[in-house]
Formats: sequence, structure tokens, C-alpha cells
Amino acid sequence: MVLSRARAPRAVVAAAAAAVLLGGCALLERIPADPDGTLETVSGGVLEAGASLSDPHVILEDDGSLRGDEVALVESFADEIDAEVDWTVGGEEALVGSLEAGELDLVVGGITDATPWADRAAVTRPHDEVVRPDGSTDRFVVLLPMGENALLAALERHIDGGLP
Amino acid sequence: MRRIGRTDLPRAQREALRRATVVEWISLGYIAIAITLVGTVMGGSQAMRTAWIEDMLSTVPQIAFLVALLVIRRAPTRKHPYGYHRAMGVGHLVAGVALLAVGALLAFEAVSGLLRQEHPSIGTVELFGQTVWLGWLMVGTMLLILVPPIVLGRIKQRLARQLHSKLLLADADMSRADWTTHVGSIVGVLGVGMGIWWLDGAAAAFISAGILRDGARNTRAAILDLMDMRATTVDQSEPEPLIERIDATLRRKPWVRRAASRVRDEGHVFHVQAFVVPRRSKVRVEDVDRAVQSVVDLDWRVQDVAIAIVSELPSPESDGGRSLRGGGERASG
Repeated sequence: MVLSRARAPRAVVAAAAAAVLLGGCALLERIPADPDGTLETVSGGVLEAGASLSDPHVILEDDGSLRGDEVALVESFADEIDAEVDWTVGGEEALVGSLEAGELDLVVGGITDATPWADRAAVTRPHDEVVRPDGSTDRFVVLLPMGENALLAALERHIDGGLP
Repeated sequence: MRRIGRTDLPRAQREALRRATVVEWISLGYIAIAITLVGTVMGGSQAMRTAWIEDMLSTVPQIAFLVALLVIRRAPTRKHPYGYHRAMGVGHLVAGVALLAVGALLAFEAVSGLLRQEHPSIGTVELFGQTVWLGWLMVGTMLLILVPPIVLGRIKQRLARQLHSKLLLADADMSRADWTTHVGSIVGVLGVGMGIWWLDGAAAAFISAGILRDGARNTRAAILDLMDMRATTVDQSEPEPLIERIDATLRRKPWVRRAASRVRDEGHVFHVQAFVVPRRSKVRVEDVDRAVQSVVDLDWRVQDVAIAIVSELPSPESDGGRSLRGGGERASG
């Protein structure tokens, strides 16, 4: 019939549009995604964090525990994604090597946005700024594995959410 | 601008030239905006970086055209008896080589990044209190700057044909192909967003291949002209029909037995060197002057006609095939 023939394509178009819209929304939530799925693995599990000692950001106490503003940042981020933090203390080069190898999920320790590791690690937006006596500004960042953009976005969102 | 070298431009060409200048300035303004926008949202995407450099490079033919316009308007001098028309060809060659070099560099970067399996990082920005993935801003920017080059390219293409300007035509072709660059970078960024890290490098490789192709085409076209290839239509697809008309015009003169001409493209205008075998051994000077005038009257692009009276043509009257690459059809005598 003429009427149903005219109606059928319209229904198909509507259904297709709805499907695209729904699929699009589902897809949008997953953008950006991690190629190696770090955020998904870490959430509800263990966050492997690397720390290079740097007063006052990362300080090693006599009892072997860590404190400092960047330690607090990582702990609060871990809380948000329901993860336990497993700390590895070491030098920056060793930590960045582990980050590249996928053994660590992030590295902190007084690293600024002028870091020479920017070729080998993803750098977050600054979580803190300190003006030095000579007038220049240190903008402190966190290093993440290259290309793990869901993790990067989650941590930056956490940073934007305000710090204790 | 009323004159190119020695020629007074007809009204249509004068108007086309004026509009071409305006369109080129608009193009430059648009690209300045595009470069600023893309530069602010670029982030760690290789495809975006490649598209950004491509946008910058697309100004080279435009600047070359505008600079060459300043040069070619000068009348011939004692030191430069053929005028300054070749400035257009030189600009064209410079533009082509620049494209080739940068295209090769970008292709190398894209492929080596893929081989080293570099995962591109694209973070977020804080915008009006919201944390927004930078990739969305990149896609938005690219969509925003997608359309203008296509429109500008179409306008420039029409003007280039009116003005017989190969440089302007090359620029028009590049503008019209610009959207593939922008769509390519959108695909790359969305790929990164979906966790398909290699799509970014692949898009960068695709974009740089486009730059390489532009470079190769422009370099080839510029060199062919600078090598004094027989004049062609503006897209270099076939010999310029005007050559046949010049020969026919000369052959129709009652005092002419045979005639053939060498016509070369100086960028916008043609230089004609015609060889004429007269019927009798005596030729009236007024006849030759009149023949020169009737050739000049054929087309505005005809400039600088020299007629040599010879007893035998230095080259075959007709080159037989119409192939552009047919060698030796105009061996000098």
C-alpha cells in the first residue's frame, strides 16, 4: 500500500537515528579510552604508584610510610576510584622506565611541567603552583603512561575537583 | 593593477586579478585564524600537528602569488629585456619544493612514530568549570575550519583559468583538497579517543602523503614551465590551442608561404617567436609589422612577438602527435 510504503522508510530512519543516538551516547561515555585499559584495571584494584623523594611533595618517614602533598593527591585519587595504593620509591629514571614498561600506573615526586620526561610519559595539567624566590613558577604535575587517556582524564578531573 | 609587464590587461582580466588578490588576502586571514585555533587545542596528536603544519604550508603559494604580483607588473628593462614574468614560475617552484620537503619530513615522523608504537596522549582542559576532553575541542575546531577552504578554492580555480595563472590554480587545488586533511585529523583524534592509538599516526601519514603529492605536482609543473616547455592550457593537460591559431593567422597572410612558431609560457603571458617563409624574397616591413599586430590582437596573453623571416622553417610545421612529452618536435635549426 502506498501509505505503509511511505511510512516504512520513516520508521526505519527513526529507528536508525535512535540507535545511532543511543550508541553514540554509550560511546561518548567511553571517550577517551585507554589503549591498555589501565583505568579499568586499577579501579577497584591496586594503583601502582612510583614516588621519587622530594621535600615537601614526597617525604619518607622513619617508620617507612610516605607523606607530602603529592602523596595525599595520589591517595585521594585512589580513594575516588576505589583502589589501594602500592608505593614504589626510587629515582626518577628508574620510575619512568617502569612506567613505560607498564609496571607503574603513575609517578610523582616534585616533577614540574618543564620535565624532560615529557617524551616518555604523559604529563597531567599542574595540580599545584609555587612561585620561587627568583620570580619563576614551578607547576607540579603527575607522570602517567603514554596514551592512557582515560586515566589521564580521570586524574585531571580529580585535580579540577579541588585538593584538600 | 592595469598592466602586466608590457601588456595592458583587458577589463575582464583586470577585474579577475583584483578579485584574485582580494581572495588571496582573505585566504591568508582565514589561515591565520585557523592556525591560531588549531595551535591552542593541538595537544599530543600527531595528526593534529601534521594538519597544523599543512595549514601553515598552504600559505606558501598564496604569499608567492602576492609577492610575484608585485614583481611581474614591472615593465621590461634594458637589464631584464624579457620582463619579470618568470617571478611567477620561480614562486611556483619554491612553493612546490617547500611542500615536498615538509611533506617528506612529516611522513617520516608519522611512520617512525607508528613503528615505535608511540601512544598519543590527549588530556583535558578546564572550561567554564567543566573538565572537557581536549579531543572534543580538536574535532570541533576542525569541523569549524572545514568549509571555507572549499569555497575559496572554487573561487580561486575560476579566477586562475581567467588569468592563466598556474600558481593560482595550484593554490586553488590545494585549498579544495584541504578538507581531506581536516577530516583525516578528526578521524585520528576520534581514534585516540576510542583507544585505537595507531589511528592517529595513520591519519598523520595520510595527511603527509597529501602534502607530498601536492609538492610533487607543483614542483613538476613549475619545472616544466621554467624549462620552456611548449605553452599549455592552464592545467597543463594539453597544448595551448592559441599556438595553432597563431600559426594559422600567419599562414593566412598572402605574402606568407609557411609559418611556425615557438610559444613559451612566462607565467601569465606568452612569448611568441614566429618563423615565416615568405613567397617572394622581398618582404615589406609594413607587412611584418601588421603580422605582429594581428598575432598580438589574438589574445591578451600574447606578449612580445618576434617574427623571423627565414628561407626554411627551423622546425616541422606540425609536430604530428599532441603528446606533451613528444620529444624533439621543435629542434632548433
